[in-house]
Amino acid sequence: METPVVALNGVNKIFNHGSPNQTVALKDIDLVVEPGAFISIIGPSGCGKSTLLRLVGDLIQPTTGEVQVKGKPARQARLNQDYGIVFQAPVLFEWRSILKNIQLPLELRGSSREERDRRARDLLGLVELTGFEKHYPWQLSGGMQQRASIARALAIRPELLLMDEPFGALDEMTRERMNMELHNIWRQTETTVLFVTHSIAEAVFLSTKIVVMSARPGEIMQIVDVDIPIPRGEKTRQETAYFEVEREVRGWLRRAEGYRA
Amino acid sequence: MKRIRRYLPALFLFVVVLLLWELIIVLFQIEQFLLPAPSVILTAFYENLDRLLHIGWFTTKEALGGFVIGCSAGIIVAFATARWSTISESLMPFAIAANSVPIIAFAPIVNNWFGVDNPLSKMMIVAVIVFFPMMINTVRGLTLVDPAALELMRANAASEFEILWKLRIPNALPYMFNAFKVAATLSMIGAVVSEYFGGNRSALGIFITQEAAQFRFANAWAAIIVASIVGIAFYVIVLLVERLTIPWHSSMRGGG
Repeated sequence: METPVVALNGVNKIFNHGSPNQTVALKDIDLVVEPGAFISIIGPSGCGKSTLLRLVGDLIQPTTGEVQVKGKPARQARLNQDYGIVFQAPVLFEWRSILKNIQLPLELRGSSREERDRRARDLLGLVELTGFEKHYPWQLSGGMQQRASIARALAIRPELLLMDEPFGALDEMTRERMNMELHNIWRQTETTVLFVTHSIAEAVFLSTKIVVMSARPGEIMQIVDVDIPIPRGEKTRQETAYFEVEREVRGWLRRAEGYRA
Repeated sequence: MKRIRRYLPALFLFVVVLLLWELIIVLFQIEQFLLPAPSVILTAFYENLDRLLHIGWFTTKEALGGFVIGCSAGIIVAFATARWSTISESLMPFAIAANSVPIIAFAPIVNNWFGVDNPLSKMMIVAVIVFFPMMINTVRGLTLVDPAALELMRANAASEFEILWKLRIPNALPYMFNAFKVAATLSMIGAVVSEYFGGNRSALGIFITQEAAQFRFANAWAAIIVASIVGIAFYVIVLLVERLTIPWHSSMRGGG
């Protein structure tokens, strides 16, 4: 068996552990992500899906349990720059041009100037931002900014891409177009993606598997397989298979919301 | 051309105010010791030009010296404390409190420390005045960083130094320029007012008090004009440096 890209083993996360206002954010999480998968994590708001993503990225640490990325402890993977990350906001540095923003992870890695320039220009092509090298973030629309931030996450050619509701702030039309682009990027780069969202449509369209989580304390309720042929395109959203998966996820989400209420 | 047209209304207003001022004094026969007419002040300005330039430069040097000392100290302390958040958290309330103390009130005491004729006594007053806004703003700029930006840096295994150099310092620059602008204005005020408490005779503040005491109010007004011109010039220079240093900042986009 191939080494999973992500493996969570009995992970619990309790904020303010031991104090009277402690919150159990995640409870007994076991999850294995195979190479090349596109996994969406969906659940009611406050169910700890972002917390789960941050645990994988070693931006926070589990209270108990073990998080491994590419067979290494999460911390080691972070220090090796083994993953790229995209947040809900583009988080572009306003003092850097788009090109320089995309190069940031490569700078931190210590790549040569030529390599940074070459890679960043390739990526601008991939996210269809060629011609905007010298622009500053404020000169770009929200969708374009988010594309730049995806390019930045891909700069280091990560085997794992962590995405925390990356299109949550975009309007519906832009969001659907970005979904299409992300799907193509995923196929071209063969990156494994861990994708947090609260949109069922988005999750079904993009994923190979959907992890449905329950309301706090966040537990994995169900993992739904998405058997919709790849590549996906404009017609996918009209296919019977798409509606079936959507209905199934919706059903699980209903139960997830009522789970502890 | 566009720029000139933008400033045209302000220029027009300035001329109108001057004319009104002149007119009111002639119409109501206001005595010179109450308010000299602009034409009288202008004449006094030209008659005393050499003297005014000499004393103006003397006071400007005090303001500049104080600005450099105070801002440097403010920045150094800010960097030192921002590095250790517990220190800056415990220090900030005191800094903010100290910022509202009327430092100029200490001028006679500081004159006593460094010698009333020593320009250093004025520089120290100016330095203390500009120190607090400089320090407070720099600490804010270094610490009020987007948490997601910090996560991004950490996700890419950035060291503390890289976070400082590539994130905290660029983030702090707009805050620091705001402080520089405040400090530029404060330093000229601080220098002139601290001279009111005595010191070298070839200084703007001393000149103003002496001329006013001898009812030569037009001369005092002329000196005030010199102080204003220096203060405004100082501010404009900081503004230009800001424009060159942080052209990317939102406050710079108006003219783009």
